[in-house]
Amino acid sequence: MSPELLLGLLAWGTLVGLDLVSVPQMMIARPLVAGPIAGAMLGDGWTGLTLGVLFELFQYEVLPVGAARYPEYGPATVAAVSAAHAAAGTLGLGLGALVGLITGMAGGVSLHAVRRLNARAVRRATAALEAGDARVLVRLHTAAILRDAARAAVVTALGLGLALLARTYLAGTISVRGVLLLDVAAVGSALAVGTAGTLRLVGRGQDLRWFAAGVVGGAAVAWLR
Amino acid sequence: MSAAPRARPAFGRSLLRLFTVQGSWNYERMQGVGMGVAEEPLLRDLRVAGNGAAYRAAVARGAHFFNAHPYLCGLAVGAAARAEHEGVPPDQVERLRTALCGPLGSLGDRLVWAGWLPFTSGLALIAVALGLGLPAILGFLVVFNAGHVALRWWALRAGWTHGVRVAVALRQPLLQRATAVLGPAMAFVVGAALPLVAQYLGSGFLGWSRVALAGVAALGFALLWWLRARLTGVRLGLVLLAVATLAGWLWP
Repeated sequence: MSPELLLGLLAWGTLVGLDLVSVPQMMIARPLVAGPIAGAMLGDGWTGLTLGVLFELFQYEVLPVGAARYPEYGPATVAAVSAAHAAAGTLGLGLGALVGLITGMAGGVSLHAVRRLNARAVRRATAALEAGDARVLVRLHTAAILRDAARAAVVTALGLGLALLARTYLAGTISVRGVLLLDVAAVGSALAVGTAGTLRLVGRGQDLRWFAAGVVGGAAVAWLR
Repeated sequence: MSAAPRARPAFGRSLLRLFTVQGSWNYERMQGVGMGVAEEPLLRDLRVAGNGAAYRAAVARGAHFFNAHPYLCGLAVGAAARAEHEGVPPDQVERLRTALCGPLGSLGDRLVWAGWLPFTSGLALIAVALGLGLPAILGFLVVFNAGHVALRWWALRAGWTHGVRVAVALRQPLLQRATAVLGPAMAFVVGAALPLVAQYLGSGFLGWSRVALAGVAALGFALLWWLRARLTGVRLGLVLLAVATLAGWLWP
């Protein structure tokens, strides 16, 4: 992979990470968007789309309410696509999922760390904030956004590094059957997480009946195709 | 002391800043600093009117603790800014902001996080599974953000229009209807998406691997359901991948 391409993926992962919470929350942080764009950058649309769908299922478990802590799947999907593309033909989805899930966990931890750093910065500026100093207010806010951008860049770089390590040390050491087992684990867990996540979202009321009707309708379409 | 709001307040600048409202999210004031930044352009008239002290006091209040759904923060920004212009007593402005946190959080979570977002994302999943590819992703971005931007704009304008009587805006029939319709629509769409996505992701598996896939998905779902307080999706995925890696080495 060329340095230009790596830099492009790093920039895309940073934008995706920034979109999750800070700016502008237009949902490029959704794996379903982050993955296909990363795939298009690598000239591997199928891998990007497939891993985007896979991680979108994991994303259904996350409800970003208040101070909730959750994995960050945007930069994780970018890293996953990079790993799967690099190992195309040998490891594919399973390796991408492995790299992506580790990166997603790291992203979640980094979000918590940045929020703590932001709190410290706010505490330091309390006197100016209470005096209504608009310049300090805007500077504090801008610095926090830059901090989040740096965080997203570090998480993406970590993910891309993991992808490189996985390609170097894992590819070639696993048998064809092992590759298939990894793929089964990746897709199986994504389907399980997506189903459990959507059921929690839907709840038990009347919406559950609509959900069941949707499942029947979707299954019918899948069967007819 | 009150200052009459000018004919065209800086809505554009305030709206742009609202897109960054969570940029400085922290465990002390949560969205408070971002709210203050977004409200500040609407308060500049106070300074222009030669009332620097009122402006600074309003900016300080605007940056106090706040937490709600980010897309609906504009409602509180507009309402608080209008109240400041109308000379509403400071403690009443504080109470207004505090009172809005819960309803705006709850409404936004139902309307967006548990409604519009999974609904549009589910539609995109269905479209991808049916073979539409990248246009489905672009469609998702356009459709989702049409609702997103409209909601942010409406919230800011409604907050400014109603001021301290902003609760009226929350009872808007269109908002109530959207919340009522989006729940079942989201449930139906994500329900339909699941079997289609399963078919899309499972199409490469044949023979024993297809049976194993069904087994892993069923076992994973059962574990997540029973151990919901302790087991997260990311942990389940990592454990299953570790087991698969080990099995691959032991069973070449």
